[in-house]
Amino acid sequence: MRDTPFSLKLYRRLLRFYPADFRANYAVPMEQEFRDELAESSGPWALTNLWIQLLADLAISIPLQLSREVSQDVRHTLRLWASRPWHTALAIAALAIGIGANTGVFSVVNALLLRSLPFRDPSRLAALNHSEFIPPHGSAKQFHDWRQQSTYFTDVALTEEFDVNLGGVRDPGRAHLAQTSWNFFSTLGTQPVLGRAFMPEEDTPGRDAIAIVGYGLWQQLFAGDRRVLGATIRVDGDPLTIVGVAPPGFDYPGGAVLWKAAKFDGEGNNGWDTVARLKPGIAWPQAREAFYAEADHLAPNRYVKRPRMTPLRDGLAGPAKNGSLMLMASVLLVLLIACTNVANLLMARTADRAAELSVRSALGASRARLAQQLLTECLLLSFVAALAGLVLAYWTTAIAVKVQPPPLAAQSYSILDGRVLAFAALASVLSSLLFGVLPSLYAGRIHTFGTRGSGQTRGSRLVRETLVAAQVMLTIILFTASVSVGRAFVRLMQTDRGFNVLGLVTVNVSLGGTTQQLTQRQLPYFEEVLARVRRLAGVRSASATEFLPLYATGFLGGPVGLDGRPAKRGAMVVPVLSGYLQTMGGRMLAGRDLTDADVHSGARVAVISEHFAAEFGGPAEVLGRQVTQGSRSLYKIIGVVQGMDYETDPSATSDRNQIFFPSHSPGGFFSTFVVRVNGRAEDRLAMVRDAIRSVDPQVPVFGVKTMAQRLAATFARPRFYSTAVQFFAAFALLLAVIGIYGIVSYAVVQRTHEMGIRMALGTTPVRLRAILLRRGLLTVAAGAIPGVAGALLSGRFLESLIEGARSVDLATSTFSVLIIALVASTSIWAATRRIAGLDIMTILRTE
Amino acid sequence: MSHRDHRTASDLTPLSPAFFHILLSLGAGERHGYAVKSEIAARTEGKLKLGPGVLYGSINKLLELGLIEEAEDRPDPHLDDERRRYYRITNYGRKVAQAEAARMSGLVQLAAATFGVPRHA
Repeated sequence: MRDTPFSLKLYRRLLRFYPADFRANYAVPMEQEFRDELAESSGPWALTNLWIQLLADLAISIPLQLSREVSQDVRHTLRLWASRPWHTALAIAALAIGIGANTGVFSVVNALLLRSLPFRDPSRLAALNHSEFIPPHGSAKQFHDWRQQSTYFTDVALTEEFDVNLGGVRDPGRAHLAQTSWNFFSTLGTQPVLGRAFMPEEDTPGRDAIAIVGYGLWQQLFAGDRRVLGATIRVDGDPLTIVGVAPPGFDYPGGAVLWKAAKFDGEGNNGWDTVARLKPGIAWPQAREAFYAEADHLAPNRYVKRPRMTPLRDGLAGPAKNGSLMLMASVLLVLLIACTNVANLLMARTADRAAELSVRSALGASRARLAQQLLTECLLLSFVAALAGLVLAYWTTAIAVKVQPPPLAAQSYSILDGRVLAFAALASVLSSLLFGVLPSLYAGRIHTFGTRGSGQTRGSRLVRETLVAAQVMLTIILFTASVSVGRAFVRLMQTDRGFNVLGLVTVNVSLGGTTQQLTQRQLPYFEEVLARVRRLAGVRSASATEFLPLYATGFLGGPVGLDGRPAKRGAMVVPVLSGYLQTMGGRMLAGRDLTDADVHSGARVAVISEHFAAEFGGPAEVLGRQVTQGSRSLYKIIGVVQGMDYETDPSATSDRNQIFFPSHSPGGFFSTFVVRVNGRAEDRLAMVRDAIRSVDPQVPVFGVKTMAQRLAATFARPRFYSTAVQFFAAFALLLAVIGIYGIVSYAVVQRTHEMGIRMALGTTPVRLRAILLRRGLLTVAAGAIPGVAGALLSGRFLESLIEGARSVDLATSTFSVLIIALVASTSIWAATRRIAGLDIMTILRTE
Repeated sequence: MSHRDHRTASDLTPLSPAFFHILLSLGAGERHGYAVKSEIAARTEGKLKLGPGVLYGSINKLLELGLIEEAEDRPDPHLDDERRRYYRITNYGRKVAQAEAARMSGLVQLAAATFGVPRHA
């Protein structure tokens, strides 16, 4: 009998797992029965036997009773919903948007920032960007000597990516290729599925004619045939022997489908990106310190920005990292607002149902039973909202893929991911607790304090007003954030880029591997194309360049100067054909544009950018002087142009010094024809493309786009961010308005009688409405004060996340408060319109 | 008496063994849960032992179906713990039990005709 108290205590505890109704009815007899059984079981064996039977009994009957009561509650909830469809639809929609947007954005954050990269020990991999730092790379030997002596990297690989023409296979076309130092695969810890990776010294001249094909390309071109090893593939005309096949899904860097052993050619490799593995035992801060010291030592003053060493995952995510975090923060706010709103709606409904709940409790429903009913309602609400939200999330993810494609195939955005689904479930359960807790507490109070029909007490009104104030606060934060991000975007789009985007057609060609590649045929090919294009109707001028603005990657030139005096920073050298600056709509500040004669004669002349000229006394001063590299004269300056934005980031300065010179052998890997046309550029795309193709159908023609389309694609991400934040802010405002309208119109209904008396005593309806308006605006003011403070705080956070976003000033916050106050006043006035039509006699007669 | 009387008794057959045994026990008079359970265990020689959860779950369902009801008047309260609840069978419950017995009896006759009846069952 010594065990009795403990056994009984344990059994009582287990009984709590039964649903409320069942427990209320049968816990006492069941406990009594347990005592009887216990009294009959003597000895440890009998006791063990009893417990085994009891546990089996509990395991069968608890789920059974739970499912019975829950299904009752669900049916009850569905009946309630059907009786108030608008109310319910609003709550579900608010939560669905909240949960859906969160899940969608989280799937992006998950893919970019949380999911592991498909490399060995990826957290030890570092990325260095070519625009900031390139290790010594004069020759393969120089690079490999440097990396072997590194004190903080155990391995370092170089890669450079570009598009090439593929030939010598069934299906010739363009492909994205990465040339890499031989140790690229071993640095990442990736093994080819077939054949081998590159071997030591295979990145030296004479041994570098080998390639590894991607799994997809292997399937596409060789139908997965194992005889691919040893086969030859032509890349821009050069034959390469295939030695291996990369594993499925491996497409680093930049979606590459083909890797070739690198060709080191002195200082010409300006596009080398670096991927490195930290030495075992070296922590990130240590490695960074060592790297900064070495970068300063290797190239003092060479770099405009201090080189950064980032974890590879952050390097891949790039600007998407901060953008995604900003979006995540704003969708969390949206979810909070949605929860507040739904809590408010449920509070109102619970207050309305006070009578029903009181009656049920009088009929014997326990407080636990009523709380269980309310909890089921909340969980069901968030469950339905989560289902609808998953559809929204899928849609959000689809948009995100378009505007912010994942950098690697292994980082595809998916909501069918354990972590994402867990997040959605957690978000919906947490939010149901968040919006369900107040109504449940409130229901508890009804039961405790009596059965009065009206649920409208001073306390509940205060709670609801606090909820609305909280909503106003969150809305102001989101609203000012949207203004801040929106302004940053407008600034980005309104930047003067030094060229005219409208009415410009752009088309890429690549001569690599074609019969036009021979040096003496390149210029005639381009001239023939231009002659045909210029003859087309509606074409005002046409030219070509090797580097189009917005695509700065890898075109930074070396250190140059004027008449032997070095410039403060390196310059971009941009080979162009005649009339390029005019066609782009560039503004000449002095001198003239490049002409056909300049191109034909092979004249060593150039037009430089204003920024470059400014270092040497301005446009008028530099005409006729020589651009020099060391003591060597490169070009005579014949003109100064405003300069074009080659970087997309308006704050970048590395592209400001530009040299446009006549291209004598055009046709590199990014040759672009630019054509200025009358009317809409979109309408001329096909015509220009066909004219170019007609010159030589063998030359791949691609990238047939208007310049405006290129700009839009470049800024798709910031545009998406600002549109999304604006959408969320508008949604938050809408929810706040609904919240305010709801609370005021509810107050009107509840206080009709009181108002009738006031009117009988001489108060005018307008005055009554003014009283309610004042009360409502007080609620708004109560939310506005912390809202403005929050907006100023979150502004700083935003500044650190979004390039160009500036913290909002007090004027903007005040403006957003005014907007909300105005909208709130309108909705309060609308909600109180009933008062104007009140008939005193009718109201008083009902007493 | 029962609000379910409009339904025919055979709507609910076949009954689960637990339901049938509970009705059988209550057919002899009012009982509390533990008495029902002990009687069933004795009748089936321990083969059907209803745990408290299953027992009261079944009682709950039988109450809902209107086959049994709670007895308001207890036997002498001095004789028994007042925390116990007593149940009795309703008219409808009786009809359902009869229908079930008839169904079983038909089945037994069919089995006897098919296999014969052993002398010592």
